[in-house]
Amino acid sequence: MRGAPLYRLLLRLCHPADVRARDGAELERAFAACVARERARLGRAGYLYAWIRALADLLSAAVLVRVDAQRTRRIAALQQLPTPHGDGLMFTLAQDVRYSLRLMRRSPWSSAIVVLTLALAIGANAAIFGTVDTILLRPLPYHEADRLVLLHEAIGKSGPVGFSAPDYLALTERAAGFESVAAFRNKEFELSGVDLPERVTGAVVSASLFRTLGVSPAIGRDFLTEEDRDRRAVIVLSDSLWRRKFGADPAAIGRTLMLERAPYTIIGVMPRRFTFPNRGPLLNNTPADLYVPIAFAPRERAAFGSMYNNSVVARLAPGITVVQADSDVRSVVSRLVEEIYPSVFRQGGFPLSASATPLREETVGRVRTLLYVILAAGIVVLLIACADIASLMLTHAAGRQREMAVRATLGASRMRLIRQSLVEAGLLTVCGGAIGLAMAQGAISLTVALAPPTIPRLREIAIDWRVVAYTTGASLITALLCGLLPALESSRRDPGDALKEGGRSASSGRRQRRILASLVTAQFALAVILLVAGGLLVRSFARLMTVDPGFRAKQVVTIPTSLPRTAYPAGSDIRSFYARLLERVESLPGVTAVGASTFLPLSVRERRAFTIEVPPAASEELQGTIAHDWVTGRSFEALGIPLRSGRYLSPSDSQSSEPVVVINETMARRFWPGQDPVGQRIAWGGPRDHAAWMRIVGVVGDVKQGPLNTQTEPQSYSPWTQVADGMLAENVIGIFRSLKITVRASHDLTDLATAVRSHIRSLDPSLPLTAVQTLDQIVEESSGPQRFNTMLLGSFASIALFLAALGIGGVLATSVSRRTHEIGIRMALGARRPDVIRMIVTQGMALAGAGLLLGLPASFALTRMMSTLLFEISPRDPITFASVTALLIAVALVACYLPARRATRIDPMVALRYE
Amino acid sequence: MKQAPQPPPLPPHWFQILLSLADRDLHGLGIMNDVLERTGGRMRLWPAMLYRNLRRLVDAQLVTEIDAPRDAEPGGGRPRFYRLTPLGRRACAAEAERLAGFVDVARRKRLIKA
Repeated sequence: MRGAPLYRLLLRLCHPADVRARDGAELERAFAACVARERARLGRAGYLYAWIRALADLLSAAVLVRVDAQRTRRIAALQQLPTPHGDGLMFTLAQDVRYSLRLMRRSPWSSAIVVLTLALAIGANAAIFGTVDTILLRPLPYHEADRLVLLHEAIGKSGPVGFSAPDYLALTERAAGFESVAAFRNKEFELSGVDLPERVTGAVVSASLFRTLGVSPAIGRDFLTEEDRDRRAVIVLSDSLWRRKFGADPAAIGRTLMLERAPYTIIGVMPRRFTFPNRGPLLNNTPADLYVPIAFAPRERAAFGSMYNNSVVARLAPGITVVQADSDVRSVVSRLVEEIYPSVFRQGGFPLSASATPLREETVGRVRTLLYVILAAGIVVLLIACADIASLMLTHAAGRQREMAVRATLGASRMRLIRQSLVEAGLLTVCGGAIGLAMAQGAISLTVALAPPTIPRLREIAIDWRVVAYTTGASLITALLCGLLPALESSRRDPGDALKEGGRSASSGRRQRRILASLVTAQFALAVILLVAGGLLVRSFARLMTVDPGFRAKQVVTIPTSLPRTAYPAGSDIRSFYARLLERVESLPGVTAVGASTFLPLSVRERRAFTIEVPPAASEELQGTIAHDWVTGRSFEALGIPLRSGRYLSPSDSQSSEPVVVINETMARRFWPGQDPVGQRIAWGGPRDHAAWMRIVGVVGDVKQGPLNTQTEPQSYSPWTQVADGMLAENVIGIFRSLKITVRASHDLTDLATAVRSHIRSLDPSLPLTAVQTLDQIVEESSGPQRFNTMLLGSFASIALFLAALGIGGVLATSVSRRTHEIGIRMALGARRPDVIRMIVTQGMALAGAGLLLGLPASFALTRMMSTLLFEISPRDPITFASVTALLIAVALVACYLPARRATRIDPMVALRYE
Repeated sequence: MKQAPQPPPLPPHWFQILLSLADRDLHGLGIMNDVLERTGGRMRLWPAMLYRNLRRLVDAQLVTEIDAPRDAEPGGGRPRFYRLTPLGRRACAAEAERLAGFVDVARRKRLIKA
């Protein structure tokens, strides 16, 4: 039974312990039977129906059980001793509850609307709080996670990069401020030997990683230091991979898996809730399905000044602060060039530095603003809902003035009347909160499903006692906010007046109208803030969608491939595989161009330092790093990257011809301003590296290397066919043996993808089938985070607008019905319909206008905090502010017009006879 | 001559619960299903209120709790069973008589066939 734990929780909240102890288990069983019965009767809706009925049942029983107990006690007391006078608090409270329940039953629709509104607002809040709590507030799921830091290196003014192997190894020996240090790196693997072969994302890790994190495998054991040192083929699985491949069989330990077609022995399985690496950091941030020893190759150990691609996590020694650790790692790394680097680096003064940041900061720092903005938006929606309900209850209370007066004359104290009103509000919010909590569960699954994968810790989000506590607190505060005003208001009046007046109020109505007016104004002001925030995101997203990525995404499929080292040991094997594949795909019908590259646009990860042979005098900066991609086939044509001058790379650029390179426009502009760079030569590394010169043969259009909201960097492309055989086969990260095939076609892409895959399979049946994506999908995915923000805040803003419109419409409608008499007189005295409409609409628009006047400056002040979430839009964007104003005025006009029209339908005779 | 005092009318759901227990001992879930079946789905007893009412019936000595019989359906613990007390039997019968009286009137007034 899915709902059983929640029902048990509610039982615990509602029923006294002795009742629970006696009947708890049977109640749960009976509840399950009811749910099953209603499901069988009503299908899916039965589930909801059963829950609502069971909830009502539980709440009424909760009250009545206490009343029963009270009664029993009172009778017992009466029999034994002379009773003290007066009612017990619990008893009158129970009376209030019973009375409120009766009221709710009397107007089921308005109660249902109130409960549902509250359920929505509280549910949304619970879901958001659950998300924020998990991601931002709770410690990472590692042992004493606040002592974990991520270490980065930096070269000159470059942003933070990872550690190179020799630097990491030197650090493990020299850094004093750490208890332990570990390196890790994401890596893709071809996984076979169980089920169908597939590609999975794993991590290569140093043996110290799990010890550093303070997490041990759930079954099996951790890596041994010698397994890392001796490059042993052992593997630790993630819980999810273990369940998927082995059906959670503990006997998987000791079995063998094939990684890149080499056998690995399974030695452990990590715990269920363990995720590492986390999303969030810039580097190596894909949660791994499996872990193998990092086992640095001799070439990596000697890679001074290159391959800064390992992430390093460290546990601070007890008593060491992050600041101390930061200065420690800084000083260790800055001395490395002197101490261990080859002399060539010392002459140029290689500017190596490092830094330490808390792991948690690295993981969640980038989503903090977003989450707080969303949390604030949720709370604003709740406040608007509160105002709605408060005004609804206020008008209700106005209608019940006589009743209150009667009760007051019969001796009910003011406190008692206030409490009655609070109990009413409380009951409504408790129902709303309980349903909201159930809805929060759904909202959380929805959030997790829709959230872009870049948001860290999504897997950890769940409803726990903290969320329940937050929801309870939010409900209680809501009850206070909704109930207090009507309570004070209805208990304030002199009962004699209310009885004399005959229900229609004149002077007292003014006070109430003022309160209602300020509630509506507040609603509008809050709605303005949300709408401006939502509007800014929508505008920014629209701006993002107009960004030209630099390629033509229509009609292109991309297929990632990767050739395992064991099956393709030599460069020539790799070369012939791709040559044959491209040739076969090119001959498919409808294919207009085929190419392959080491990276796809929007995710170019390679950055290289370079030197210009004859530096032009006018260039602003002579050195720096540029993005780089290796391409083969007709990659530019397939991607639709336009040629600006010179020529594209061609198949004739081979190992025997002159090394060539093509650059993008940004690179041409920045390094050869006002000149044609074609014919110039560049080389990798610094001037002392003496690398081979490469001639620039063409300039192509700019293509984004990262997501659409990033700056285009200078980039170069060189022919994959000119990469030396040894490099092709031996490159440690294996980028040359993992090419992304891009195919542009003139017809249906799904058939094409299948055809390409079957060609791959005919060349190598054991290559895993990988996800085929169209270039359009890749573009869409790259704007996923922005889409998510916009959707979320946009929907909040719409809800806010709707609730605010509901508020103003409701208040005017009540006002119209209360002024029937007055309007009747006016019309009898000759007022025309347009006059009446104008009168009512003006009254409403004054409120909306006041809301705007308050809301606009407030949003002006608040949206500044959103500037990091916006793309090329100022947080004070006049167009957004103007359109929000226009939208609100339009909505307010509609909301005011409807009750105004009703007012004109008043027949003066009927209205006067009403007397 | 003074007539014997009339017992107060029983609330409908009390009557139905007592009726379920008239010919056999049942546990809470059993009563729930029995009432549902007999009333053709018109009276749905929900768990929390059902158990509250059972407790009140016990307090009023119309019903008594007994241990589950040995052959009670296995699985899911040992539910408590309820049995009608002689007082409960009289109360239930009196209520039935009262209702039957109305039926008689309806019959005499030819609302329903004899």
